[in-house]
Amino acid sequence: MRQARAVVYVDGVRTAFGRAGPNGVFWRTRADDMAVKVVRELLRRNADVPPARIGDVVFAATAQVGDQGLTLGRSVALLAGLPETVPGLALDRMCAGALTAVTVGAGEITLGAADIVLAGGVEHMGHHPMGAEVEFNPRFVAERLVDESAVTMGATAENLHDRFPQITKADADAYAVRSQSRAAAAWENGVMRDTVVPMAVFSDDGWRMADRDEFLRPETSMEGLADLPTPFRPGGRVTAGNSAGLTDGATVCLLAANETADELGLQPSMRLVGYAFAGVEPHLMGLGPVPATRRVLEQAGLTLDDVGLFELNEPFAVQVLTWCDGVGVDPEDERLNPYGGAIACGHPLAATGVRLMAQLSYGFRERPDVRYGLTALCIGMGMGAAVLWENLAREHAAD
Amino acid sequence: MQPTEFKLRRVETGRGPLALLTIDNSEDWQKPTTLGRFSLESLASTLDEIEDGDWAAAVITGKPFVFCAGADMDEFPGVTADVARDGSRVGHELFARIAALPFPTVAAINGACLGGGVELALHCSHRTISTAVRHFACPEVFLGIFPAWGGTQLVPRLIGAEAAVEFVVANPLRQNRLLDAQSAFERGFAERLLEPAEFVDQSIAFALELTEGATVRTEADLSGLADAVRLARSQVDDQVHGAAPAPYLALDLIEGAAEWNLEEGYRREEDAIAELMPGPQAQASIYAFGLVERRARKGIGVPDAEARPVRKVGIVGAGLMATQIATLFLRRLEVPLVLRDLEQDIVATALGNVVGELAAQVAKGRYDEAKAEFLGSIVSGGTSYDGFEDCDLVLEAVVERLDVKQQVFAELRELAPRAILATNTSSLLVSEMGADVGLHFFNPVPLMPLVEIVRTADTDDAVLATAWDVTQRLRKRGVLVRDAPGFVVNRVLTRMTSVLMQALESGNTVDETDEAMLRLGLPMAPSVVLAMVGAPVANHVLRTMHEAYPDRFPLSPALAALAAGEEPEPLTARPRPVEELTDEALSAMADEIGHLLDEGVVASAEDVDTCMLLGAGFPFFLGGITPYLDRTGISESVVGRPLAGLPHLTAR
Repeated sequence: MRQARAVVYVDGVRTAFGRAGPNGVFWRTRADDMAVKVVRELLRRNADVPPARIGDVVFAATAQVGDQGLTLGRSVALLAGLPETVPGLALDRMCAGALTAVTVGAGEITLGAADIVLAGGVEHMGHHPMGAEVEFNPRFVAERLVDESAVTMGATAENLHDRFPQITKADADAYAVRSQSRAAAAWENGVMRDTVVPMAVFSDDGWRMADRDEFLRPETSMEGLADLPTPFRPGGRVTAGNSAGLTDGATVCLLAANETADELGLQPSMRLVGYAFAGVEPHLMGLGPVPATRRVLEQAGLTLDDVGLFELNEPFAVQVLTWCDGVGVDPEDERLNPYGGAIACGHPLAATGVRLMAQLSYGFRERPDVRYGLTALCIGMGMGAAVLWENLAREHAAD
Repeated sequence: MQPTEFKLRRVETGRGPLALLTIDNSEDWQKPTTLGRFSLESLASTLDEIEDGDWAAAVITGKPFVFCAGADMDEFPGVTADVARDGSRVGHELFARIAALPFPTVAAINGACLGGGVELALHCSHRTISTAVRHFACPEVFLGIFPAWGGTQLVPRLIGAEAAVEFVVANPLRQNRLLDAQSAFERGFAERLLEPAEFVDQSIAFALELTEGATVRTEADLSGLADAVRLARSQVDDQVHGAAPAPYLALDLIEGAAEWNLEEGYRREEDAIAELMPGPQAQASIYAFGLVERRARKGIGVPDAEARPVRKVGIVGAGLMATQIATLFLRRLEVPLVLRDLEQDIVATALGNVVGELAAQVAKGRYDEAKAEFLGSIVSGGTSYDGFEDCDLVLEAVVERLDVKQQVFAELRELAPRAILATNTSSLLVSEMGADVGLHFFNPVPLMPLVEIVRTADTDDAVLATAWDVTQRLRKRGVLVRDAPGFVVNRVLTRMTSVLMQALESGNTVDETDEAMLRLGLPMAPSVVLAMVGAPVANHVLRTMHEAYPDRFPLSPALAALAAGEEPEPLTARPRPVEELTDEALSAMADEIGHLLDEGVVASAEDVDTCMLLGAGFPFFLGGITPYLDRTGISESVVGRPLAGLPHLTAR
């Protein structure tokens, strides 16, 4: 077996993230067409990559049905115009779909099965609501294997508030305000313009451009959030304002062997250092990234202080605050989600992972002094994922 | 519904052919399999096939979630002695054929296993049980009979004297307590406790292991049986005061297991069931069970309208009853709750008790601590109506005075116009106080399943549907009642109280008045109930009933005295025999039931029976009060007609 090779992240893009449902911008757009769009844009932006060198196309979706059901990686490759010689696959790890596409693709590169991999995810939650096409095994309830609240993500967020009563609704609301205002700034200042690919889409009003995340609410304030209803539990703490909405979106990134990047004259922004997955109590799924973070740092022989940027998913503010509490990071820490997160832009389940990486990659470029960065998220049914990256912009800056 | 059959498949294994039998009725788990005439015939012909073949082993199991729920109770009402005897004998013969099979037989208990299902399993040479099983029991004694397919003989031989007495007699009398798989395994009912995943595969593997030489099981040591039975007899005396024959007969049969061989034991079971099952107590229990488990569960009179969501509840009044109700609402509905009383320290005590009850549940391991803390944080209270404006439901539980209640409802109507206003009044008219509906709970709230749901002429369908929905979520049983003084339970019980108070005024003692009702088998002495409810409350109810029906509810100096904390003084010295007091009390109750049925307070006599079973602690073996009154001739002589009109229950 060849020696493990270094894997680098060259570039990543996403569609705008739209509101799921008939009032959303992507309502009349197929999920696979959204994936095709981001693949084509990625290849345009990285014209030095010969498509025939792509060794695999790995695409994730949670609902492997309908317009996102035909072995996405392969069908999208063909639909995007990649040569027939490029294979593809589809995978599912719910919220960590795209992240797992990256780790799977990285595995292929590191062992030499591929030199270049496209990895991403798509979720059209408007066409495929969570759990809609899934049949739960009656054993879960009959044998009390899992608490019933575990199937409703919002209920697990309420459970987190129960478990950590020091994290109040006010704390969650304050975090939500921060996320929204940072996201607003990020649209002004360019990171979003850098990573979001405008897409022409059909709608009941004819063609229009999907070019801006539909959940952005820069005017979000504590007063505005205070009296929102708590749909997951009467008298609860989790609201639409301090959670990520149901979203449609697609993402993709380009991974390569470091030596291939050199060969082709590419400019990778970060190197994959390590990754880890972990399992936790399903009814407290938000805890997932805590053990995953610890494990990946241990693998790399690093501590949290060595990490200069965090991109953490925000399905619920309480989940982020739980991670902060668990690993020892102040929620107001500048290192954490500097460009806002899912509370502002939404969380299309399987697509989110690469959005985090694209934002981290941008952050690395803005902060060449930062050496390591972390992308992490929680996953339904009680899991967590964390990927550690090294900033290659430093090297270029040093050149 | 399809009948239960025994389906046989032949499985070729390395040790030879294995007979795999499934007890199945081709329905899902909501229609459990039961063994009636047809099913036993199916078993007989399946056994013909099995006895003919050359098998290495057999495994008997059930459809998903249900092993077998026992005999078909639809065949019980109206049985004659001969039919009962025959039913027992057929089961004995068939199950004995299973026991006689010359190869290992494994009952793979995959799900609910009750009554005859247990007895079938006991006749197999071995048993496996799945950890998912939560319903393992012989509840026959609870139903006024006993396990008559060999249970009284085989259970002690398998698990020993004390455990057998507990399983067959004590558990049924303790609110019909069922065992889970772990408990059943620990007592020795099964040789293997297996995980649910791959349960049938592993049970088959166990059966095949047994073909290599089954362990011969020694019978349990029954030397302590006589002592265990003697102790149990006195415990049963405490519970039913000799009024229910089933537990005593069951104990006699269990005791016999130490001296009889199995054949004789079977004959004794047949004799005993022939006597017991057609008898009044068994028939009454079966009727009562049908009412409470099937009819009341469905909810008679639930309108077709959609229930409104209840996301916040207010309770006016923070006394003991209101506190119990608040705790119930908080635990079951898990919604924000606000309490109000006139005095802050009453509110504080109530809130403390609610939170304390949650903590007690956590300490017992019945509740998650973090969740309990959350619930504690969403209950609040004060002396104003702050927090009531956005309630979806407000329940009033203040003092039983019409003027006070009228004022409460007038205020609530104005400040919470969206809310459904309900009252917990026990004797006043819902319509007169300005409430939308009555939700009448019974003391003690955690234990008494009944809620009288009171409808007035103005109660609209959506309100009523919401009342039903809330009652179900509280895990209580609702009975629809028309707005009339005392509704059902208090109206009927107050007639009884009236008779007993008059007896005290005539020189009878409290012991005599208590005995008058205890000898019927009522679980609690009337004087104890009175102390629990509170004599002032009972007196107040009597006064209200007196205003509505002065001729039938005379005021009582004795009750007034008790309400004032004094001893009642006899006014005359003409005490009557206890039996006469019993008759008079029952006659008064019959009279009142006749009136309330005529007035249409409830739709049918079955509703009266359900109320008395679930709200007044009327014992199962007396069954419905109306068939009992019919059966004893009291209905005919007092009301001039049968109240229940159920022929098979009134045959004497």
